[in-house]
Amino acid sequence: MIIVKDLSVNRLDKKIFEKVNLALTSGNITILKGKNGSGKTTLLKAILNIIEPSFGSIYWKGKLLKKNLYDFYNHVTYISDKNSSLTKLTVKDNINIWKRFFCSNINNSQIEIALKTLKLENYLNQKVGTLSLGETKKLEFLRLIIENKKVWILDEPLSNLDESSIELMKQTFEDHVAKEGSIIFSSHQNPGIYVTEEINL
Amino acid sequence: MKLLTKIIFFLYREYKLNLSGVQDILTNIIFFFVSIFIFIFSIGPDKETISLIGVGILWTLLLLSSTLSLRKFYQDDFENGNLLIIHLNGFSYGFIAILKTLSHFIFVQIPFLLSIPIACILLNISNEKLIYVFISFTIGSLILSCLGSISSSMNLMNQRNYLLGSVIVMIFSVPIIIFSVGIINLEENFNSLTNILFGILLIVFAINPWASGLCLKLSLENS
Amino acid sequence: MKFLVNPSKFNEIADYIFKPILILSIVLFALGLLFALYLSPDDYQQGSTVRIMYVHVPSAWLSLLTYAIMTLYSIAALAFRIPFGFIFNTAVAPIGAVFTLICIISGSLWGKPMWGTWWVWDARLTSVAILFVIYLIIIFMNFSFENRVVREKVVAIFILVGSVNLPIVKFSVDWWNTLHQPATISKLSKPSIDPSMMTPLIIMTFAFIMVGIAIAILRIKTEIISRKSYLS
Repeated sequence: MIIVKDLSVNRLDKKIFEKVNLALTSGNITILKGKNGSGKTTLLKAILNIIEPSFGSIYWKGKLLKKNLYDFYNHVTYISDKNSSLTKLTVKDNINIWKRFFCSNINNSQIEIALKTLKLENYLNQKVGTLSLGETKKLEFLRLIIENKKVWILDEPLSNLDESSIELMKQTFEDHVAKEGSIIFSSHQNPGIYVTEEINL
Repeated sequence: MKLLTKIIFFLYREYKLNLSGVQDILTNIIFFFVSIFIFIFSIGPDKETISLIGVGILWTLLLLSSTLSLRKFYQDDFENGNLLIIHLNGFSYGFIAILKTLSHFIFVQIPFLLSIPIACILLNISNEKLIYVFISFTIGSLILSCLGSISSSMNLMNQRNYLLGSVIVMIFSVPIIIFSVGIINLEENFNSLTNILFGILLIVFAINPWASGLCLKLSLENS
Repeated sequence: MKFLVNPSKFNEIADYIFKPILILSIVLFALGLLFALYLSPDDYQQGSTVRIMYVHVPSAWLSLLTYAIMTLYSIAALAFRIPFGFIFNTAVAPIGAVFTLICIISGSLWGKPMWGTWWVWDARLTSVAILFVIYLIIIFMNFSFENRVVREKVVAIFILVGSVNLPIVKFSVDWWNTLHQPATISKLSKPSIDPSMMTPLIIMTFAFIMVGIAIAILRIKTEIISRKSYLS
């Protein structure tokens, strides 16, 4: 679905990476590996058309991404390394806002199941600001379920997570791939997640 | 249809956010009133003088208090990545700017508008003038929202000089102040001055999505 | 004309023309001051104070001209991706600010004997003061961003937004009844100024332009060099 061809990005006249090729079809998991500052986040943002690449092109469903941008955005969920839940509001409010704002077709029971597996069901009426770092991270992943889109683009999803959560992520990834979804994620190591393609930056 | 629900729930989201930070808005209004007190104490409680310069005081203080809340305009959403998520949900940058401006007008400026009658009583402005005050403030605060959007989106990546945003708003609001105060004080010129003010509103409203959208795009690109 | 948009071409041409322009500006300044202070007649109403005009008017023209050129370069830089426009904006903004400051100071020195006050709040003076503040904001913006790319583009956008002030400055004397006198020299009508005063005014204007160009060349060259060091 996504094809990246000879992508190079320069920022502040400094070369970040050069000639990256990548193809993501449905049912694929791609991992981006690399040291700190090797441009993992930059590549993900370039795929999302937030950063303009200096050379190279990106295709979505056979068309240039730029010409097909909002169709692409309808099929993609991006989770950045930042904590995007609104810290002043409760977990429940956050979920409600996301559910309506993304026009989600997920019903409440599915969300409850997801909350239970993420072990967040006891925090429903707490403000997000009082949760711990790992818990807010898990709350972020709830967006994957709520948005219910095909392509997942995840930036460092495995940092700040304990081992049982990582197991959970593995399971979620496999379920998503089984449903013909596709995933790109960046990480500096791979704790045994099944990947179909590995890109070293 | 989908876009409409998205817009409605964007505004719902803003409403929730502003409701959780309602003390900030109230603090703004309290700042507004306290500065009115200080103004009156500093020029003496002479009724004639106060009613002469009351409108000017009202406008100056409204401008100052609305620049106080400028840093919240985009900064929070920018720093926690929500701006990006909203964009990925199918809103172009310019459209985000328009919606944010509207929500700033609704949730920050309208409380001010509601508190203006009380301020008019304090400043000895006659009841007949109240309608003119309201018209000038409604148009003027919409212009201020647009200017606030432009200046705060320019200063998203500005880590050193926070006051610059306020200065930008204030320097561009000079013509607004001239014409809005003119509406209230020169009632015989009401029509022409209102038209000029409307013209300024349209110009600023047209520039806003372009300038803010470009600045938002730049800041997201380089953050 | 490629040197107007290309840094390396600009460097070549600048090395070539810098010295002649410097000499020309010194000569013109000497000539202009000679004319302005000794050879031109006193005004029959204003007396000797009219000589302030020979500084005031050129600097006012140049403050507007500098901003107009910055606006053009901002459009070029943003729309046609010409990075030289950003270099130009960063380099030239302080020059425009200084011209505006000279204009304000000389104007208020002129206003004290003529109008009896240093400053009045009429449309022309206010709009020029706003122009000065806009220049200052541009300069401060150039110092307050960490990221160069964002800084350049944001400043260019600000210049474009701020350019709404230009027509207000230019036409303020026609639109409002101001204390400031309307323009004496305009393209469409015959100038209402005597040739004996016109000559020094024109010479001084060219002297100001030459000084401006000389300083601008120096500043643009430094700016280009500082960016070169960024590259390597």
